[in-house]
Amino acid sequence: MRAMKITVTGGKGGTGKSTVATNLALLLSKKYKVVFVDADVECPNDHILLSANLENEEDVKLFKPKFDYSKCTKCGLCVQNCSENALLQFKEGYPFLMPTLCSGCRTCQLVCPVEGAILDDYRLVGHTYRTKVRDNLELVTGVLGEGEERSYPTVLAARQRAMNIDANIYLFDTMPGTGNHVAAAIEDSDVVITVTEPTPLGRHDLEMILKLLKKLKLKAWVVINRSDIGSISHEDILKNYDAEIIAEIPMLDEILKSYVSGVPVVEKFPDSRATKIFEDIAKRIEEVF
Amino acid sequence: MEIVIASGKGGVGKSTFTGSLISLLKDLKIAAVDADAEAPNLHLVLNVEKWDSERDVIAAKGATITDKCINCRVCDNVCIYEAIYVENETHKIKEYLCEGCGACKAVCPVEGAIIISDTVSGWIRTANTKYGPLVSAELDVGKPNSGKLVTEEKNIAKEWVKEGKAEHVIVDSAAGIGCQVIASLSGANKALLIAEPTPSSLNDLKRVYWLAQHFRIPSYIIINKDGMNPGYKGIEKFAEENDVEIIGRIPYDPSIPKSLASMRPLVEYAPDSPASKEIKRIAQIVRGWLND
Repeated sequence: MRAMKITVTGGKGGTGKSTVATNLALLLSKKYKVVFVDADVECPNDHILLSANLENEEDVKLFKPKFDYSKCTKCGLCVQNCSENALLQFKEGYPFLMPTLCSGCRTCQLVCPVEGAILDDYRLVGHTYRTKVRDNLELVTGVLGEGEERSYPTVLAARQRAMNIDANIYLFDTMPGTGNHVAAAIEDSDVVITVTEPTPLGRHDLEMILKLLKKLKLKAWVVINRSDIGSISHEDILKNYDAEIIAEIPMLDEILKSYVSGVPVVEKFPDSRATKIFEDIAKRIEEVF
Repeated sequence: MEIVIASGKGGVGKSTFTGSLISLLKDLKIAAVDADAEAPNLHLVLNVEKWDSERDVIAAKGATITDKCINCRVCDNVCIYEAIYVENETHKIKEYLCEGCGACKAVCPVEGAIIISDTVSGWIRTANTKYGPLVSAELDVGKPNSGKLVTEEKNIAKEWVKEGKAEHVIVDSAAGIGCQVIASLSGANKALLIAEPTPSSLNDLKRVYWLAQHFRIPSYIIINKDGMNPGYKGIEKFAEENDVEIIGRIPYDPSIPKSLASMRPLVEYAPDSPASKEIKRIAQIVRGWLND
């Protein structure tokens, strides 16, 4: 059996990505070994929805250059090649680093003509966690360090840690947005679920995430959450992108109640209408599997 | 004065609130900044029908591999973004992951096999709305550095203030706590932090509050969708423990999605609704700050 990657995303924040992802993770883990990845490293909340405490902390470290000024010839190559302008050098002086601007790309070290003039140093940019949530369900969470600008390395670290675990299904929950930190979580997915809401705002951001999926050559399963808060046509969007609406989730009492209680709806209200909708989505995923 | 609306968690009502706030304070000459370049929405709330200007923003570089590449594999493991891959014995770059750092070029032994060039990261647009000038940015999907777009937007808004086109700046930030939010908070005078009464929102509120504290920006909390989770006191407890003032509680209001569909600020669409009344009260507080 080949392992499968599923990603839940959406562009806009607060459309219900984590709710959909959490419930699908629980349903799928009844039959398969699931690694659930919270890739919303700026504001990870899946562990809260699952009432789990994060465990097994690991550091996410990023390279930063450390200068050995006894060897540095002040040639300036490192400064010229730093795409983030994180290195400064004043006339006649040695180069030095402004750490918060450094992306950790190592180009300075790679272009330095003097062996040993730029050494390895590291800075802590975030953490990853691995938490056993249920039988057959492990949660890998990336948490960006507060004050860190770049979420990308922590997303990658969470992805790596998750993919090193043996499983049948890897289920990613991304952050809002459409930048490369979202692309890094989505790429190589077998199924991408985009959660949206029927408002002009939801539709606008849905189109942005569909543009990203087009770039990644991926098809989208669209889930319209809170489907009864408005009516808006998605027809033109569905025509222009490889996307299909696979579920509509109305405002349901059981979803709100379970959301605030810390027990996902498929466990708290297993016979509810909401659970049935999530079961149908899980079934569709199994069919692809 | 520069005021930022932030929340950590997405979808808690930042743009809805900001749209109404700008509508209520338009006599004070507000420049509006939509600082969510990855999912910009404020123009939809402020009913922008056409943009007055649009320009490309070059905020990052990108690498391309040319046919001079000899597939020597030297660059295979240098890319920290994992953007380089090999397909059919040919090296390629995933442009949606590349940040143009140049590490691959630095190790490449063949002149001209890898080219680093400027890429269009996105677009900055401006509009004169009936509430004042708006600047909005859109990141080209999959590109890095949305924070740089936000910094450019804020520079435009500051220019408007210098020219007298506006007197104050209100920034509607992105979700999260990353580069866009840091760029939004940087240099701001006050932060309005919007939260809904749920543990997830509280978790994210704590993170964005920490960031605002880091920048030494006086912060105030607004509870949105108040009443959606009766009995939950997490936000209040946090506010009390950290001595942050809760300056408003916007009741949960089913007319909000309809106002979004109408593409008008809530306070115009449903001016007498309980939510609008509370937003008007909060706007009076903000008016006091701006007049100070």
